[in-house]
Amino acid sequence: MSFAWTSKLALAAGLAILPATAWAQSVNISYLTHWSPETVALLEAAAKDYAKANPDVSVTVRAVPFGDLLTTLRSQGGGSDGPTIGGIYDLWLPELARDKLVAPAPDAVASEVKGAWPAGVTSAASVGGKLYGIPNEIDVYALNYNKALFKQAGIAAPPKTWDEFKDAAKKLTNKEAGEQGFGMINSWAAGVVHPFASLLVSNGGELVKDGKPALDSPQAAQTFQLYEDLIKSSASVPAMATADANTTGPFLDNFVSGKTGMIIMANWWESALKTGMGDKFADIATAPIPVGPSGDKPHSISYSWMTVVNANAGAAEQKAAWEFLAWLNNPKSGKNGASAMSDILMSMGILPSRLSDIEAHKDKLGSEFLSGYVSVLTDAKPFPVVPGGQEFSESLQQTLEALQYGQVSAKDAQATAQADATSILERAAK
Amino acid sequence: MIQRYRASAGIMLAPAVTLIGIFILLPMLLTVWLSFQDWSTQTPFSSASFIGLDNFREIFGASSVGRDFKGALTNTAIYTALSVILILPLSVAFGLMVYQHDVAGGTALRTVLFSTYMVPMIAVALVWSKLYSPSEGPLNQMLGLIGIGPQPFLSSPRSALVSIVLLNVWQQMGYFTVLAIAGLTQIPGSLYEAAKLDGANRLEQFRFITLPLMRRTLLFSAVIAIINAVQVFEPVALITQGGPVGSTNVLTYHIRRVGIERAQGGLGSAMAVMLMLSLIVVVCALFALANRKDQE
Repeated sequence: MSFAWTSKLALAAGLAILPATAWAQSVNISYLTHWSPETVALLEAAAKDYAKANPDVSVTVRAVPFGDLLTTLRSQGGGSDGPTIGGIYDLWLPELARDKLVAPAPDAVASEVKGAWPAGVTSAASVGGKLYGIPNEIDVYALNYNKALFKQAGIAAPPKTWDEFKDAAKKLTNKEAGEQGFGMINSWAAGVVHPFASLLVSNGGELVKDGKPALDSPQAAQTFQLYEDLIKSSASVPAMATADANTTGPFLDNFVSGKTGMIIMANWWESALKTGMGDKFADIATAPIPVGPSGDKPHSISYSWMTVVNANAGAAEQKAAWEFLAWLNNPKSGKNGASAMSDILMSMGILPSRLSDIEAHKDKLGSEFLSGYVSVLTDAKPFPVVPGGQEFSESLQQTLEALQYGQVSAKDAQATAQADATSILERAAK
Repeated sequence: MIQRYRASAGIMLAPAVTLIGIFILLPMLLTVWLSFQDWSTQTPFSSASFIGLDNFREIFGASSVGRDFKGALTNTAIYTALSVILILPLSVAFGLMVYQHDVAGGTALRTVLFSTYMVPMIAVALVWSKLYSPSEGPLNQMLGLIGIGPQPFLSSPRSALVSIVLLNVWQQMGYFTVLAIAGLTQIPGSLYEAAKLDGANRLEQFRFITLPLMRRTLLFSAVIAIINAVQVFEPVALITQGGPVGSTNVLTYHIRRVGIERAQGGLGSAMAVMLMLSLIVVVCALFALANRKDQE
């Protein structure tokens, strides 16, 4: 074959494969999250690592405040140009799946997840038996307390029962100095509802039982009453409890500046505490939720987060997204047998949920702050994931805030919360 | 001849009428239509099912949906009323101060006043949320210097909405002052000279010349201030998220929560229709009042 013919054939072959090459190089996927800029930088670094072995896929990361995450997913997820991957809270999954905004996981991904994650976490990422997301973090609530303030108030150990809890809160309160014993949260649904729910389950109660609200139980009545008692005794000051759109604000400022003695909060705020407190972070310790008069032992509320793929994205983008997520959550992508995702989560003090990740991060999970959370994980009860769950949370938030500000009594708050929850869950179930 | 004239007028009007129809009338009609439907914003319009007035019954009912809507409507009305009550007199006062020819630095003051209007709301929200901080905020520190105890500002349902109103007034004041100055420039100086010759003092000049001749400007300012206030969204979304206890949950923010976050498109549309109707009623009432005064 002459040189001219060889050149022509090579050119023709080149032209023939050009579209495929160009197509392969043009798979761009986007990842929507609510993480802070420091954490986003870690995710971007992981995406760069992935691109080394997969130069045909480019991943861009976009962050929005937590308060805007669901709205962004709903308003942009309906189109193929919306975010390809989204980090979501398990409570949102049933409705996102119902509205076909998220795609079911491919069989290979689903079978790996079922084998590598605890069954409870896998079920929270599934709707109707179908897996929709790869779980990554699990969050659980515990009592955080300031050891230095406890020492000053002459309290030897963290409270184990509600009576001890109320007593400690009273001793830690100094109205003149603007100090409160127990810090509640307001203006943020999960921040209001999860601590309340943790106290409720530690008192033997439940938010939702068999798909129906259970806020009319005697255990719930005692929990509403506990809130009223704390407010009436000034051991908890609602004006010190406000949160902003980034889930920070006065409630956090008051705890880091030593004006709040105790708070019920999740493990993920370790990084916020470290940033706010510096060396004084050593004063903070974790303890199980105090047990109520009707409870048997400390329980807590847990919830999980997962990454889902946009059901309206193109087939190539969906495939690339699942492959990237499978790599990101694989024990080979991080350090020392941990996944890259778990390394990112641990940088924020968030517990990874993959069993191999918990093993790989055993040392760090044994730290004074996090070990308190790991220890309560076994007895934690998942926050009910039901259609209408977000609206239910926001409605209960309003009622609890009204109770915090003395606008309703504990009895009225309980009746309102149960009536609202019944109507919301019934409507959502239709 | 008349037919040709009508045809050419129709051709010339067609582009504007078409654009208005597509971008203004159609969305409005669609919102009204959706308000009578059970529809999720995540599904096509074809999936909407007619439910009559159920959405309106729901938003005015006793359930949490109704309670939240009525609360948001009340908050929006209070926010709007307070904003207008504060903005109009202050804009006239600042306008008079800045318009005085014999005051040195008038132009500089005008620029400073207008500059607040040019600051993006995200920056305003960030700064004011820190100014209002109950523990470390400069406002409380300043109040402390004059012996006033710390105020909760955004942390109390009693003061949160008023705090957001003050932020809005601060930001909008420059714009409305410029409108007031524009109104003042329309008043002939000879009227003041004649009044002076008749022995009128400054207060009388203001009451019998400035204020009556600024009525049209003030009407325009009031309408714009009402429309701006009713559409308040950013400070609530950026600072308070509608809290505490829903005290800053205004209608635009609430409609976004219901219509987009919860995907309840029918309910959200019914709320939007009520907001539109309320706005139309208030603005029409304002114009009717102004016309009656003119006729008197």
